[in-house]
Amino acid sequence: MTLTPTTYASAINTQLGDQGLAQQPWWVEQWMELINSYRFKKRLERAWEYARSGNVTSIRFEGRRVHARVQGTDEEPYKVKLWLDVLHDDDWNYVLDALTQKARWSAQLLAGVMPQDIERAFAASGKRLFPFKLQEVRSECSCPDKANPCKHVSAVYYLMGDRFSEDPFVLFQMRGRTRAQLLADLAKRRRKVLARQARQAAAKQGSQPVAAVALQPVHPAIKDPNRWWHYGAALDSDLVVITPALEGDTGLDAAGPLPLAEEPRFPEANQHFLEHLKAHGQQLAAQAMAKAMGPANGDDS
Amino acid sequence: MSLLHATWLFPPEGSGGRLFLWADTWRVATPAVPKLEAPEHPLALNEDDLATWLDDNGLWSEALRPARATLTLPSRNQAAKGRRTSASSWSGLPLQAGEPIPKQLEWWPWQVEGWALDAANAGEWLSQVPLAGEHPEMADELRWWSHLQRWALSLIARGRWLPQIAEGKARWLPLLNREDDRRRLEDLASGLPQVATCALASGPSGDPSLACRRPGSGRLRVASLLEALLDGQLRAGFSASAGGLDPLLAAWQKALGKGDGSLNLDEEELERLSIATHHWREGVAGKVEPARTCLELFTPAEAEELWELRFGLQAEADPSLRVPAAAVWAAGDRGLQMGEVAVPQPSELLLEGMGRALTVFEPIVRGLDSATPETMQLTPAEAFVLVRTGAHQLRDVGVGVVLPASLAGGLASRLGLSITAELPEKSRGFTLGETLTWEWEFMIGGVTLTLRDLDRLETKRSPLVQHKGAWIELRPLDLKNANKFSGAKPGLSLDDALRLTASDGDTFHRLPVHRFDAGPRLQAVLEQYHQQKAPDPLPAPPGFSGQLRPYQERGLGWLAFLHRFDQGACLADDMGLGKTIQLLAFLQHLKAEDELKRPVLLVAPTSVLTNWKREAHGFTPELGVWEHYGPRRPSSPEALKKALKGVDLVLTSYGLLQRDSELLESIDWQGVVIDEAQAIKNHTAKQSQAARDLARPSRGGKGGSRFRIALTGTPVENRVSELWALMDFLNPKVLGDEPFFRQRYRLPIERYGDMSSLRDLKSRVGPFILRRLKTDKSIISDLPEKVELNEWVGLAPEQKKLYNKTVDESLDAIARAPLGQKHGQVLALLTKLKQICNHPALALKENAATVLASSNGSFSSRSGKLQRLEEILEEVIEAGDRALLFTQFAEWGLLLKAHLERKWRQEVPFLYGSTSKTERQAMVDRFQDDPRGPQLFLLSLKAGGVGLNLTRASHVFHIDRWWNPAVENQATDRAYRIGQQNRVLVHKFITSGSVEEKIDRMIKEKSKLAAEIVGSGEDWLGGFDVGQLKDLVALSEED
Repeated sequence: MTLTPTTYASAINTQLGDQGLAQQPWWVEQWMELINSYRFKKRLERAWEYARSGNVTSIRFEGRRVHARVQGTDEEPYKVKLWLDVLHDDDWNYVLDALTQKARWSAQLLAGVMPQDIERAFAASGKRLFPFKLQEVRSECSCPDKANPCKHVSAVYYLMGDRFSEDPFVLFQMRGRTRAQLLADLAKRRRKVLARQARQAAAKQGSQPVAAVALQPVHPAIKDPNRWWHYGAALDSDLVVITPALEGDTGLDAAGPLPLAEEPRFPEANQHFLEHLKAHGQQLAAQAMAKAMGPANGDDS
Repeated sequence: MSLLHATWLFPPEGSGGRLFLWADTWRVATPAVPKLEAPEHPLALNEDDLATWLDDNGLWSEALRPARATLTLPSRNQAAKGRRTSASSWSGLPLQAGEPIPKQLEWWPWQVEGWALDAANAGEWLSQVPLAGEHPEMADELRWWSHLQRWALSLIARGRWLPQIAEGKARWLPLLNREDDRRRLEDLASGLPQVATCALASGPSGDPSLACRRPGSGRLRVASLLEALLDGQLRAGFSASAGGLDPLLAAWQKALGKGDGSLNLDEEELERLSIATHHWREGVAGKVEPARTCLELFTPAEAEELWELRFGLQAEADPSLRVPAAAVWAAGDRGLQMGEVAVPQPSELLLEGMGRALTVFEPIVRGLDSATPETMQLTPAEAFVLVRTGAHQLRDVGVGVVLPASLAGGLASRLGLSITAELPEKSRGFTLGETLTWEWEFMIGGVTLTLRDLDRLETKRSPLVQHKGAWIELRPLDLKNANKFSGAKPGLSLDDALRLTASDGDTFHRLPVHRFDAGPRLQAVLEQYHQQKAPDPLPAPPGFSGQLRPYQERGLGWLAFLHRFDQGACLADDMGLGKTIQLLAFLQHLKAEDELKRPVLLVAPTSVLTNWKREAHGFTPELGVWEHYGPRRPSSPEALKKALKGVDLVLTSYGLLQRDSELLESIDWQGVVIDEAQAIKNHTAKQSQAARDLARPSRGGKGGSRFRIALTGTPVENRVSELWALMDFLNPKVLGDEPFFRQRYRLPIERYGDMSSLRDLKSRVGPFILRRLKTDKSIISDLPEKVELNEWVGLAPEQKKLYNKTVDESLDAIARAPLGQKHGQVLALLTKLKQICNHPALALKENAATVLASSNGSFSSRSGKLQRLEEILEEVIEAGDRALLFTQFAEWGLLLKAHLERKWRQEVPFLYGSTSKTERQAMVDRFQDDPRGPQLFLLSLKAGGVGLNLTRASHVFHIDRWWNPAVENQATDRAYRIGQQNRVLVHKFITSGSVEEKIDRMIKEKSKLAAEIVGSGEDWLGGFDVGQLKDLVALSEED
């Protein structure tokens, strides 16, 4: 897939605010490239206007399909449907086989990161995760416009990009497996492979297979009933003085921007929300410090 | 006494819950037989009593709501009275904290009434629960809860939280990805007292079913408790912002405020929000798991360039417990056992952690190309990034990193010193300031290097360099310090050596000292000073008439050792180990060595002055002892100087120390000794100030140096607030000035129980305090199982006056009385005198009500014996010991009961003739069995002297003397008998000069007269004239 820079890419770049495309996850960028490869620039421009001014009133993932409502010239919003071709179970088996080959793929998927070279795993089945051409994104719109994609569909395309950043695994879902299903299948397959390897290794060494993990051991409190009552530890030294977070070191800072697609009608809603949380956090942190330094019960000094 | 408990009430499903407060108390209870419902806890306080109790203890909160719970408690199988136990019907009682655990133990559910707080208020309430210290009214788990809340506060202060959608509800969740927070979770989970979570999941009405709650996986349970506390507190103050939010965020924001976190969203929107928030959190923190992914860095092999990074899992509970990736893969679909914890899906866990590791340390990507990777190679540049910043970032996302020891970032990886030192040839090691002969080298990561080595390594322009086989990191600042140090050429004093060897991590001219090698002679001094090796024991000096037990010889050696260094010493041996004897032996030692040139001042409470005089008389007859006390004491420096001719030891009281301070200042004392040194604990009190002033030679500077010794039986090193004044008396420089001490030690330790400050403090004062306990192994073999102590006491002025008056009047009356009445009158006189020795109130027939009308202090000040008794009891109570107090006067028992109960605010039962049989049994049971039962037990010699088994007591007090030693011994044997686990201290009070002393002497001399006096026969009176009687009863004034 080659990058075709267009005026719209830069338009979007600025429209998306301070984030900038460069900070978008790669799969969102890829989606945007796909859209911007569309030939009818005029229509795209209008679609962008639509998207930006909040004409897309809802986007919902229902199973493998995306349902959206777009307010057009008509009184009733138009109904837009988007979907991708689903992979068959056989295809998925190939994909899963390929995914178990590289520990990194599993590792990233488990940690919630979409591997950048995920397509290589899909290549094993001869299929793709991302649509290669816009034509692969099937769509329907209830508008009278004959062209496909119409500007309503295109408007939804734009907003889909944001939704991908919320959850990249939506793509898997559109291809027929949710993230949970995928991870479960992957785990099952990996365990099978590992068990086979273990058996082979054991056979090679001629040793007995190791007995399964023992039953849950008896809780120490049963063996030592004093543990029902007794607690002798002193306060953790690091909790003696309670310190505030270093600048930019709170959980909110670490988590970064909220991966939630913004509705154009509520610009910077995420930002507002996070700022409110941050203010609340600072206020409570100050209170907590005051509480921690205040005199404790039974303190005579 | 009641004991407050706190248990979490988990909701039937989901998260959250309430803190449930309940209390149990000791009382006689009928064993319960469970029916269809769990039985009521027979020892628990009811709702109203608990409310009153909470209020009385300042723990009431308006947010408390009545609640009931079913708790699983260890219980004792016990047949109900009058019923036969059959195999089918169980009956029993719940155990209480601290109660001895019976061999056969069962877990049963019990219903309890109490009060509950929702999560937000629970946090608020727990913030006021003490974090440390002795609080006998609170069960251990309250401290556990206060520690958990402290952690929650710290997480809030540090902003380690993230709002989430969990189980369909809006929740504020803690982020436990940081290394220290993970360790904290482990610590609190492994220490969790199960009673804190022993409630069955129940609805608002309570679940009276008979099921028991299993003790569960601590980690997850503690994490959910922390979650609940944090959520409650963050939720409480949260209000929705002005707006501008889309409906999804608006709904979330609303649900994060007050309420149960329910969201007003349809299922699909909720799902979307849930996935997005989950995704948001994922990159920061994983779930709470029993193990984490761990990366271990290995230095390159010889002549190689690449570093090796090995993958594996590390147990959260014990980071030293690691399993290599190979074993994780080999575990296949079975779980993995790491120490005590089971990891059900090890490969998933490893991979998930690697995924997070990738997000912060990119080079790992190369290592994950195969299906089951175990290890990878890093370039030197990558290894440096890992050491410098990567390790920290990885730990922040919950991935463990193990670096080679020389690079692990601790003190050892900093450039420091290796020191070799020895005392100069001629030195005896007695002066702290003297300079040592010494050499040094630089040291880092366990290898030594010279300044030239450093320069050479610096030219390599690589931050990680190899030297003598170890890989080390060179930091610019270290090099600067090294250059500065070599330029300065500092000297090393004995004082420095003592400090540097006292604790790890001390620095010398800003460089940490990694190694300190002392030459043999310096080593000997250091070891003795740090108490690694006790100073050589000293045998009893010539002129000492008595025997020293081996530990007393060691104590004497220790006193002499610190004296050599001109260091003040605090001898804090347990009561009954003979501090007095050791000090007298020390003075005699000085005398015998011809080192005692000037008088020594000993300050003690008035009540023990007599005792000192007696003991000095007995053990050190060569010492000239003089009492600076009483109205006829010298009042001018000249007169005092004259009086002190030939005197070695001057005894005075704390009161006079203060009143005659100027007079006492005028003497050039050789030493000052304070007995019962806790008397100066309050550093602002005048007597404390006076004692500390006197510890140093007067400003005129003409006097010689003064040695300082403090004697106390209390565990001084544990009473931080009192330590400063003591150390200021002994060795003023050790703890700095009072404000510094308060900030650095007192507040952190007292308020928060900070162990590291406490350790530091103890290492500072340790060399100057010697405390041995009766239970120490090294002492036990030296000490008989029963130690008898004579407590010599004097008479208070009122007592003395009354005593003399009574003697004078009675002797006249007896002389004139007809023979038939003489015996009765003599006995009445003896009884009255003994009563006066106890307390004038007893002789004057005052009753408990009038006693209580007077203040604590004014009642005790009327009796020398009572003052001394209180001082000893103070130590007994402090140590958590229990004591039996015998008296022959029921009236005295009643007065004393009222007085002691008021003074110590605890019940003091009194068993005497009028106590009913059932009451007696209840008193005895309670004293023997109740874990928080009374510490003091008063008994009349007659009613309590026989038959009872009271082995919980380790002290026996004979407040007044009986003529027949067998009767006293029988009473003593209530405690000193089979079943006694400890040594028994027997305290016998003797009022010096009075009839009690004569009785004591008669008992010792096995005099026939003693037996005759108590016998009913009147024969003895025939040959007994008033003169003899006068000798027996009249106060002999000494000196």
